[in-house]
Amino acid sequence: MFTLIKREIEDHIAYFLAAVLFSAIFIAIAVSLTYNEDREGPSPAALALLIPTIIVAVFGFCAMGASQMYIDRTRKISSLLSTLPVTRGQILIARIITAVLAMLVLLLPLAVTAAILLRLFPPPYPIYPHYVAEIFTAIFLMGFACYCLGLQLGFSSGKVAPTLGALVLTIILVPLIIIKGFWGHTVIILLLLIFASLTRTWQKFTSTSL
Amino acid sequence: MSDTVIKIENLVKFFDGRCVLDSINLNVPQGCIYGLLGRNGTGKTTIIRILLGLDSPTRGQTYLLGTQSQKLTPKLRGRIGYVAEAHNLIQNYSLARLVKLCKDLSLKWNDKFFNHLIETFRLPMHRRVRELSIGMRAQLNLSLAMAIDPELLILDDPTLGLDTVARRQFLELAVDLLQKDGRTILFSSHILSDVERIADRIGVLVGGKLVVDCPLEELKKRIRKFRLIFPESAPTDLHLTEIINQQIQARELTITVANWNAQKQALLETFKPASCTEIPMSLEDIFIECTNPNPAPITDSNQEM
Repeated sequence: MFTLIKREIEDHIAYFLAAVLFSAIFIAIAVSLTYNEDREGPSPAALALLIPTIIVAVFGFCAMGASQMYIDRTRKISSLLSTLPVTRGQILIARIITAVLAMLVLLLPLAVTAAILLRLFPPPYPIYPHYVAEIFTAIFLMGFACYCLGLQLGFSSGKVAPTLGALVLTIILVPLIIIKGFWGHTVIILLLLIFASLTRTWQKFTSTSL
Repeated sequence: MSDTVIKIENLVKFFDGRCVLDSINLNVPQGCIYGLLGRNGTGKTTIIRILLGLDSPTRGQTYLLGTQSQKLTPKLRGRIGYVAEAHNLIQNYSLARLVKLCKDLSLKWNDKFFNHLIETFRLPMHRRVRELSIGMRAQLNLSLAMAIDPELLILDDPTLGLDTVARRQFLELAVDLLQKDGRTILFSSHILSDVERIADRIGVLVGGKLVVDCPLEELKKRIRKFRLIFPESAPTDLHLTEIINQQIQARELTITVANWNAQKQALLETFKPASCTEIPMSLEDIFIECTNPNPAPITDSNQEM
């Protein structure tokens, strides 16, 4: 399994580099905005950084899922790997673990930074203890849901469908978060979407001709 | 382990409503070199892909090393070497990276043998797979398949793209491998002289059906071709069964018959031909005769039809 994960990371290193880059940019902007404000609490501009983070997570990970499957199909990677001592299930799990790692590379430093900034510069209004964890869990699930959609679209169609799929999902998810917030129903809907999408991808990937 | 390494039971495969494989039954015992022959598009690669679990059958079952193809575990896959017809290697990888990947994923890896093969084939490890010629890709694929010291080697037209010297090297390697106890090879090829040189059992696919499945020597004994010259015009119907091919030119009749036996010989003699000459047949001649549209089935003597 480690070899398969390593292969996936090496093949999709661009996504990891992009995650590091975006994470670094967002951290730099957040820290800079917080220090340059009146120090009465987190700047609304810093909080607004959540929006580009969501967009990067949604589009970036949908593209990652689609590219993993698209490259697999066109370069017949699974076709080779399946003749070696690995199962198709292991190939898919390695792929998903790689995406989760890439998401953590993007979100974990941001979450840690946000938690530290909130501790150093507590806001004037009260916030509950799991505020940051809930926000970043929801963003993670959103990115993961889009990734699952990307896996499905990349395995069955060309380049246009994954892009359209990501757009549709963004259109649905952003209002959903605005209306419902980051926790509660949003998480349930995202988990259901992830479950359905992964089940379909698993069924398709393990039964199709390679 | 079961004595039957490859088992196919009543295999049927449809592609877009077209029957590609029609009720194929096949058993390959341990230690056998089985040559699977057939013209392009007769289903050789499909059989191999279904055996490896890369494709699913429409009906029927296939087994490798005693396990159903769709349920092959990684441990069992580690005992099977495979060379694909199109050499499905990851094109943008360097040879070194591809070899490392295969080595890391394999359960067993014979470094010494692999390095020997790489030196024999003079493969440049620093180059990318896509920069290699078809022949070099075939050599690399073969080296990767052989390095795991497989119990069962499945080769789908492995010598395609190889020059004469490399082909000879490959055949010697295959023979070397077989000399190790109990190794089995299934291979399909268009180069019949290669098959004739190493195979000890032959299967011929025609129109999705396995019309020949018997040991090579027996095949040569059972398919006979005669040139008969009659005093007057040649009879149009000899009342013989299992005629593979028949050509009449005035007094001359050329006939190819499957499952030749004394009864058929006696029946032929009742027509009192002026002369009867047997024409020796190579595997290539037999293949050409068998791949005509309606050949008679030729099976093992112990599964007489």
